[in-house]
Amino acid sequence: MEVSTLPISASHRGKLISSGYTSLSSLSSVSPSRLAQDLKISENEAVEILKVVSRRSGSEKIENGNHAIMNGAQTAWDMLHEEESSVCITTSCSDLDVILGGGIHCKEVTEIGGVPGIGKTQLGIQLAVNVQIPSGYGGLGGKAIYIDTEGSFMVERALQIAEACAQDMLEYDNLLRKDSQACRVIKQPKAFLENIFYFRVCTYTEQIAVINYLEKFISEQKDVKVVIVDSITFHFRQDFEDMALRTRLLGGMALKLMKLAKQFKLAVVLLNQVTTKYKEGSFQLTLALGDSWSHASTNRIILHWNGDERYAYLDKSPSLQSASAPYAVTGKGIRNAAPNCKRVKLM
Amino acid sequence: MIESQCRPQFNGLELLEDAQLNKRILSTGCERIDLLLQGGLRVGHVTELAGPSSSGKTQVCLKVASHVARKYSGTVMYFDSGNSFSPKRIVQFLTQESDPANTEVDEIVQRVMSSIVCYSIFDIFTLLDMLHQLMNNLKSEIGCNVRMLIIDSLSSLIAPVLGGGGAHGHALMVTAGFLLKELAHEHNLSIVVTNHMVAGEAGSSKPALGDSWKSIPHVRLLLHRYRATNDSCISILKHPYLNCITVPRALNL
Repeated sequence: MEVSTLPISASHRGKLISSGYTSLSSLSSVSPSRLAQDLKISENEAVEILKVVSRRSGSEKIENGNHAIMNGAQTAWDMLHEEESSVCITTSCSDLDVILGGGIHCKEVTEIGGVPGIGKTQLGIQLAVNVQIPSGYGGLGGKAIYIDTEGSFMVERALQIAEACAQDMLEYDNLLRKDSQACRVIKQPKAFLENIFYFRVCTYTEQIAVINYLEKFISEQKDVKVVIVDSITFHFRQDFEDMALRTRLLGGMALKLMKLAKQFKLAVVLLNQVTTKYKEGSFQLTLALGDSWSHASTNRIILHWNGDERYAYLDKSPSLQSASAPYAVTGKGIRNAAPNCKRVKLM
Repeated sequence: MIESQCRPQFNGLELLEDAQLNKRILSTGCERIDLLLQGGLRVGHVTELAGPSSSGKTQVCLKVASHVARKYSGTVMYFDSGNSFSPKRIVQFLTQESDPANTEVDEIVQRVMSSIVCYSIFDIFTLLDMLHQLMNNLKSEIGCNVRMLIIDSLSSLIAPVLGGGGAHGHALMVTAGFLLKELAHEHNLSIVVTNHMVAGEAGSSKPALGDSWKSIPHVRLLLHRYRATNDSCISILKHPYLNCITVPRALNL
């Protein structure tokens, strides 16, 4: 039944099959008004169905033999060149940047998870500020979308981090580019806040709705380079009775985010919580949302405590080795961990 | 009219000739996996790689893509649903395999990378479209000679539609599976798909996509990585003619 492989709604599909339209060829020569009459739907809906059919039959036309066999395919050689010229979003902690291969990569979905209080939201806000660093300073010069599901985004903190970032850029200017006045772009901290688009979602349906809406939003805004979801788990953990539905919704959401990342060449950062899992005889901390969600991201970073220090561990990456790096959360945001801090341990 | 729709018949001898001439074995580039599979991946087979997250499925796919594109002439098609195709990693694999004194490494890298074609797919309907298109192109013998098709990962494309009371998701999955088998057999491709794991009974894991999927791939391999030692092992879950065994320390990538 070729009709069952068309991306149309279940009710239309059912009506098509019960009226006898089971193959694509039977739909290729029918007029919209005739189809609307047979299926008892509106003529607009019939036109939509026929559009989908013609797209499918159109794609079956023979492509002229060229190197990329099908539309939209890219050879690995072209992709390599694109990758070499792409810029990463720095995390402001050079150790962390090193293990990430330069920072958070665009066109990829990165999942960052950790226990409460480890600094996930801080890292999210830092990235929302750092994406706006102009290209003269090695940044992307783009805008950020921050989807807040927990209510943990604090504007005052974002302003503090933006001020520190502007201060850093000024110092960089003074140190290294004393003579060139041409590229001096003095960014005010408030300007950083203007370029962060903030969405607050309160239920899982709102979350899915926002992610569906993002495609339209980003094609209108045109400069968005990072989408941060803090956190992706919150609304899916409480009161979800139907686990199978949850898996399907999460799977669909993951694919949409992947598509956004690839289509608009932006980075998607998902912040996740932890849960305990009984594995190999003991309870271990793993990221929430289960096994099937762990395949939804391109890269995964796990933040954890090691004694008194915060560490970031790169758990999953297609091209980088697993590695660990310490970082610190300071008044200025995420920075390198202070070296060899001797703390007095009170017994 | 029924005869014209019927598929052509083969007798045993013709099948054997076809197997010997057309259905070669493609080496994977990983010595131990080749040893496990007695040569490598067979043309005409759909091979499934299942494993938990970060067990090395994408790494095996990238290694196989780079090795097959390098050693056997022809195109390798890579359908990526997780933006995990890494050209940098392919260059690493190619330079690892080459002799360091060889000055033509750059040319080799360019030639091989130009014959690996990557396509990003984010839903099951696009996948079916692409498979139909590929089938039509191969039937009319237009375009380069395609040697291998890798889909990473098939389970993330099917998971959003599977289940939920209706059988539509199952129908799409089985349609895709049979299309892959037809492509592999009729057009002499070797197909590799990846699958993730879900929770099974009593805390163990099992490959996703359920019982209806189990019978579709010809060969099913399970990967596992031990975090403590960073070792990995690969086992055969299902094979037409080999025993189910496990090989440790398989992936020294």
